Amino acid sequence: MADIELAVTAAAAAEVVADEQGTTLRRTGRLALIARRFVRRRSAVVGVVMLLLLVVFAFVGPMIARWGYDEPDFLALAQPPGAEHWFGTTTGGSDVFALVARGLGRSLLIGILSSLATTVVAALIGTTIAFFEGWVERVGMWILDMLLVVPSFLLIAMITRSASGTGGWLILTLALTAFGWIGYARVLRTLTLQLRELDYVHAARYMGVGSFTIIRRHLVPNLGSVLIIQTVLGVVGAVNSETALSFLGLGVKAPDTSLGTILQAGQSVVLTSPWVLLAPSLFLVALTFSMQLIGDGLRDAIDPYSRSGGKA
Amino acid sequence: MRFLARRLVNYVLMLFLATSLVYFLASFFMDPRSNYLSRNPRPPMASIDASLTAANINDKTPIFERYWNWITGIVLHWDWGLSPTQEPVSGAITSRIGASVQLLSLATVLGIVIGVGLGVYTATRQYKWQDRVLGGISTFFLVVPTAVLALGVVIGAIWLNQAVGFRLFYVTGLHSYEGHNWLLKLSDLAQHLILPTIVLTVITAVTYHLTQRTYLLDTMNADYVRTARAKGLPLNVAIRKHALRTSLIPTTVNVAFTVAGVFTGAVITETIFAINGLGKYFITSLVNNDINASVAIAAFGGACALIAALLADVAVAWIDPRVRIS
Repeated sequence: MADIELAVTAAAAAEVVADEQGTTLRRTGRLALIARRFVRRRSAVVGVVMLLLLVVFAFVGPMIARWGYDEPDFLALAQPPGAEHWFGTTTGGSDVFALVARGLGRSLLIGILSSLATTVVAALIGTTIAFFEGWVERVGMWILDMLLVVPSFLLIAMITRSASGTGGWLILTLALTAFGWIGYARVLRTLTLQLRELDYVHAARYMGVGSFTIIRRHLVPNLGSVLIIQTVLGVVGAVNSETALSFLGLGVKAPDTSLGTILQAGQSVVLTSPWVLLAPSLFLVALTFSMQLIGDGLRDAIDPYSRSGGKA
Repeated sequence: MRFLARRLVNYVLMLFLATSLVYFLASFFMDPRSNYLSRNPRPPMASIDASLTAANINDKTPIFERYWNWITGIVLHWDWGLSPTQEPVSGAITSRIGASVQLLSLATVLGIVIGVGLGVYTATRQYKWQDRVLGGISTFFLVVPTAVLALGVVIGAIWLNQAVGFRLFYVTGLHSYEGHNWLLKLSDLAQHLILPTIVLTVITAVTYHLTQRTYLLDTMNADYVRTARAKGLPLNVAIRKHALRTSLIPTTVNVAFTVAGVFTGAVITETIFAINGLGKYFITSLVNNDINASVAIAAFGGACALIAALLADVAVAWIDPRVRIS
């Protein structure tokens, strides 16, 4: 997945550099340009609107819900959607509307936080390995390859399973970050290989600028577009992992809830009360699909060679 | 040959370190003692300790001593240890691998073939309606979580079973026929396999579709393809002879590195379709605080990934004339 962006953004980075050296013409600012190209893509705008609606729902939902997510209504077990319970209730009497609102918030939080953290860790380690060449690079790559051998899903599951209570989502976020950056750091390292040969990086090095300063000032910002796109798309990956783990009963556990946890509850009652499964599924797909649309739109807006959005 | 041998040694070393890492992590995070403590009535402490020690997972024994026992058992007797229930891990894991292979091999091959085919088809029709429609469908399936997809398939199958009035698909297990008629046996297996195979194939195919499309688009604009075109080669031939070959290289590497991914994707699928494969075994061993089994599964996954990486090296060398093994 991450490899796709590799070639595209290398080209994008080159273009940006050329752009900043040259033109004295009156020109549209880079951000305005990207924004304009982004808005022109209808699917991207749909994605943003969907995401905003979901975020609003996650915030407002718990306030307008008639029931709390942890407050079962024992007079209405496995009720279909109706006036009292808008999305129906589970077999235990929990209000599905309240559950979904709370679970969506949790899934969003876990997805965004761990995706951000993963990007930061991967960017720092990936560029550092590439920057120092020689034995640092060899040893670093060897360790990265070694870590890739371990199926990370298993380790994440192992760690989050040992956590319990309402702090579980934090442990899950940490675990997703701790084992999610590895493959991504590899990709960033490959991109940095080209960047480290740039003249101003050499110049900075000969001027005696500290290595870490070069990495922070010159290398990481040059990867900006890749990092932004990867962070957005990383949310999809993180949400999917979170759902998978919670679905298996290894991630977020009761009394807390997430979309994956509700899915698990819905799984056993597919035939008798399908709404328990349907509501979280719809929200989950809407969430990941909107992030994907935004990511695709951003990619096309940032990539100067893209031909999909007309001329900017 | 020397190259291959050196790489093999490197891989074995990697696998050894990675597995050891998992062993320490698992010993740190899993607590088999709690299995016994939560029993009612609680067994006497001495007998708990005795069972834990027998399985080499007693947390009162120093970790390095346990590690040493564990590693010598594997090296000397190929013995991967015991579960907390004193059941040997080696035997349990072998039968699960069999079930997983039955489930995964067809789906993986189908997924790669369909995915790469779609990628090539849509890349040559970039931004035409075929590309847009197929791309949209693939993006949709890419983001649908496996659990939702698999449950959707289950609901659809149950609905179809009711519509036709008899059991067309089985939604759980891998076998249910007990006789010796191989034709019935085969159709029974097919009835069980078809649904999980659909799920796994879709998951694999959409990733390959989207990546292969990008790779081929990248190489289609490369100089050597343009040169071939300028010499008068028709577009289709130029793509088939020049661009396709190069664009298959990153896909080959991807295939290797997604073997571990296929394996984890199957955890969900196996759980939903109640197939006793490796994925399900992993979940049970986690829930049972079964340190030795979890580590053995991780080691198996790692070994698969490394074998695939080795095969990918060979395949890339075969596809790409620029790679000279030296």
